[in-house]
Amino acid sequence: MSQTSIAEIRTLAGLLEELDYYQVLELVPDAPTSAIRAAYHRTSRRFHPDAHRDAPPELQQQVAQVAKRITEAYAVLRDPRRRQVYDRQLAGDRDRVRMPLAEAEAQADRQRRDQHEGRTPNGRRYFALAKADLNRGDRASAERNLKTALTFEPDNAVFRALLQELVARPSGAAARE
Amino acid sequence: MAAIGIDLGTSNSCVAVARRGRVDVLPNAYGEFICPSVVHFAADGSTQVGEPAKAHAIHEPENTIAAAKRLLGRYFFSEEVKKAKAVSSYQIVEGANHAVRIKVREQTLAIPEISAFVLREMKSVAEAQLGQPVTQAVITVPAYFNDNQRQATRDAGKIAGLEVLRLLNEPTAAALAYGFGRGLTQRVAVYDLGGGTFDVSILEIGSDIFEVLSTCGDTFLGGEDFDDRVIDLLADEFASRHKINLRQDRFALEKLKAAAEQAKRDLSIDDEATIRIPDVAQDAEGNALQLERGISRHEFSNLVADLIQRTFKVCDESLQQANLTVRDLDGVILVGGPTRLPLIREAVSQYFQCELKADVDPDQVVAMGAAIHAASLVGDEKDSCLLDVTPLSLRIGVAGGLAETVIDRNTPVPIEQTASFTTFRDFQQSVKIRVYQGESRVQEENELLGEFEFSGFKHARRGEVRIDVTFEIDTDGIVNVTARDPDSGQVASTRIHLSSGLSEAEIQAIVEKHQVTAAEPMAPAGPTAAEAIAALPRRVTSEAAAALPTPEPAAVLAPADAPSLEDDELFAEPPQAEDGIERASSVPDELELATAASDVGSPVGDPEAALGAGAEFDLDLGAGDDSEELELAPPAADAFRHDPGDDGRTRAIGGEIDLEALETGAPSGEMLASDDVDLEPLALDESDLDSLAALADDLPDLPDQASVEDDAMASTRPRQERDQAGASGDDLFGDPGADLSIDPGDAES
Ligand SMILES: Nc1ncnc2c1ncn2[C@@H]1O[C@H](COP(=O)(O)OP(=O)(O)O)[C@@H](O)[C@H]1O
Ligand SMILES: [Mg+2]
Repeated sequence: MSQTSIAEIRTLAGLLEELDYYQVLELVPDAPTSAIRAAYHRTSRRFHPDAHRDAPPELQQQVAQVAKRITEAYAVLRDPRRRQVYDRQLAGDRDRVRMPLAEAEAQADRQRRDQHEGRTPNGRRYFALAKADLNRGDRASAERNLKTALTFEPDNAVFRALLQELVARPSGAAARE
Repeated sequence: MAAIGIDLGTSNSCVAVARRGRVDVLPNAYGEFICPSVVHFAADGSTQVGEPAKAHAIHEPENTIAAAKRLLGRYFFSEEVKKAKAVSSYQIVEGANHAVRIKVREQTLAIPEISAFVLREMKSVAEAQLGQPVTQAVITVPAYFNDNQRQATRDAGKIAGLEVLRLLNEPTAAALAYGFGRGLTQRVAVYDLGGGTFDVSILEIGSDIFEVLSTCGDTFLGGEDFDDRVIDLLADEFASRHKINLRQDRFALEKLKAAAEQAKRDLSIDDEATIRIPDVAQDAEGNALQLERGISRHEFSNLVADLIQRTFKVCDESLQQANLTVRDLDGVILVGGPTRLPLIREAVSQYFQCELKADVDPDQVVAMGAAIHAASLVGDEKDSCLLDVTPLSLRIGVAGGLAETVIDRNTPVPIEQTASFTTFRDFQQSVKIRVYQGESRVQEENELLGEFEFSGFKHARRGEVRIDVTFEIDTDGIVNVTARDPDSGQVASTRIHLSSGLSEAEIQAIVEKHQVTAAEPMAPAGPTAAEAIAALPRRVTSEAAAALPTPEPAAVLAPADAPSLEDDELFAEPPQAEDGIERASSVPDELELATAASDVGSPVGDPEAALGAGAEFDLDLGAGDDSEELELAPPAADAFRHDPGDDGRTRAIGGEIDLEALETGAPSGEMLASDDVDLEPLALDESDLDSLAALADDLPDLPDQASVEDDAMASTRPRQERDQAGASGDDLFGDPGADLSIDPGDAES
């Protein structure tokens, strides 16, 4: 580990504000999820503060900066929901290379909620009604409410999938019980 | 010079060293590898640590300090301290700033001072065995320890004259000892049940990499709780037979404790244990009464079944946090004395449905891991890369008594996050920043790590000042918070080292005290160093902060760059909620903030001078109405609640209505139903399928979810409503709405 050259640490620390999370982890942007942990391990081996305890203070500080950014990159990219949010940000603005974890999390949550509960008040309302119908076993009403929900949010994959399931598997409700 | 590893346990401590590819646990002069973490203070001023100290517990319970670690880094008013006061025979008193002190033989000692006795013992055991001085150590801590507890452990190390190379989480150390140099590729759980705490960590081991995937714990659960169950049983039976409450007799209680623990230990070997305490009490005529009773494994298992189940609740949580199930694990490493009980071994292997790693000594494995890492840090051993996580969410206090998450629990460390804030009032001079750890959105339900005032930024209208607050968690799990004004290089940055415990000066004073007393026996009376320096201002070790002008009350921060912020409309009137707001401190006006022109990263000013001039930043805990002192509004990172657009607001409210309708079984909206919904097959990607699966799971839980939502929504109001509230000065502090934002942009400058 300690073979990581001083020059390498200096360069990386100097570039940190320009590197996106993929570059920090030395990954290609379309890297599969499985590659992310391996990249985190690989880069951590070289830049973990423990491996540079003997370095002069200034260099230790730079190593710490790099290590913290590696962790941050990993914390965002390892979670597919956060990664999706980050990818969108990056696509919109190449210069915004960082994303606060709390923001990534909140946006990912919102995305999930939009899909799971609906994005519009009426979409949400009818979807919730449909779920209540299903819990009661009233499939006909559930189907009607789902269709209504879809008129407000035709692109909601969750609504659509549930409706499909209802239509395709008439006994589904019994199975669900 | 060798660096050692110390497992500083609640009940027992252990020291080890790694040299030339070997790890040795070091025994004391009596050949004992495990040292009870007990300190006895004798009448002649001398102290003893370990077994001899423990032997005094029955005769001199008030001078024998056991399990001090339970109190380490705690506030006096905390639950844990209350609980300890109820069961401890020694005197636990309150020190300055809500600190915990122990009073023994007219001395008042800080908790790290007690722990330092144990550490010093471990150090001298190692020195005797190695035949050379030892000054460097890795000390382990429960994974679930918060920042205050970690700081206090470091302080204890310093007082003991050790350079603490690293704090290592106990389960991580155990995994290291298990996997070091074996080239394993495994996913394991570490189940660590100690005397007073329970930790579980899930790790992925890949040759020299040890990555913690998640860690969870319960600081109120351990072997002593098992003892308590036996004590209760014995005391209740004795009370009903003899009408004598043994629990009120200090000496009888100590005897019960010892007997219960012994019985428990016996049950790890035999099916049946006998408890016999001759002369446990006296009857009305003064005759000695004895207590004798057998207890079987079966009876014991019934007594503690719920405690064991509680450990599995924590395991559930840990698996869930790691996104894993028991099927994903290759084995379990058992750590801690109670895991010697067959009862626990069976329950654990049943729960995890996998192999218990047998080649691990539950009492020594943690010290061994610490020793391995110590050796690799000083270059005596080959490196392993330990990638750990923070066990608790890091939060910042915001308006309305709430605490917003900045770094989630189980986020890997080291990590740094920056959130941007702005002032709330025109020409505001300072802001107050409070930092918490915990899982509650309510401030008070979290652990306060510290609070500090930041000022010296430019005087400007509200919203025109930007303050970046940077939160850092290092590899030891210790938190640092820095506030700075990125706009003006002329303004100082304030670096705060949060600590609920001892200041540098106090530690120094204690170290000096012990250097003196190392030569002579300890002075039995007179004010201690800790008392002598109690008058020193604490909490804020920041030089700049100490020299700040009086903080403005009611200084609520708002987002600097948040596009939605309409300051002038929103806060056309200064808030009227100022009445009754406590003035935080009285710093003389002439104490102007020292400034550094360019080096905003370094502390400014002379702390001693500033403190000497009378600056005082007392920790203000629990007193007064929090909501009126709050000075930060939440960052906008919680985007669904702080959506600048109307859509977000409406959605929040809509959500509530939906859920209500669902709960009351409101009629379905048939009138609006339409049949022309396009039903063409959809291509679902994997994440959709996941969502769908989750959705199906969600269905029966809906009412539950509703209550969570209600909670989340309770503080969210439509913008308009908020504006009105703001204009009337009413309820301004109750609303954590979009007043503040984490700057999504160049969060770091
Ligand atoms: N053989 C045993 N069987 C059951 N319990 C034991 C045994 N040995 C020790 N213990 C219990 O283990 C606890 C201490 O465990 P330990 O791992 O040393 O704790 P800590 O790490 O918190 O110091 C005590 O409650 C003690 O009674
Ligand atoms: Mg332990």
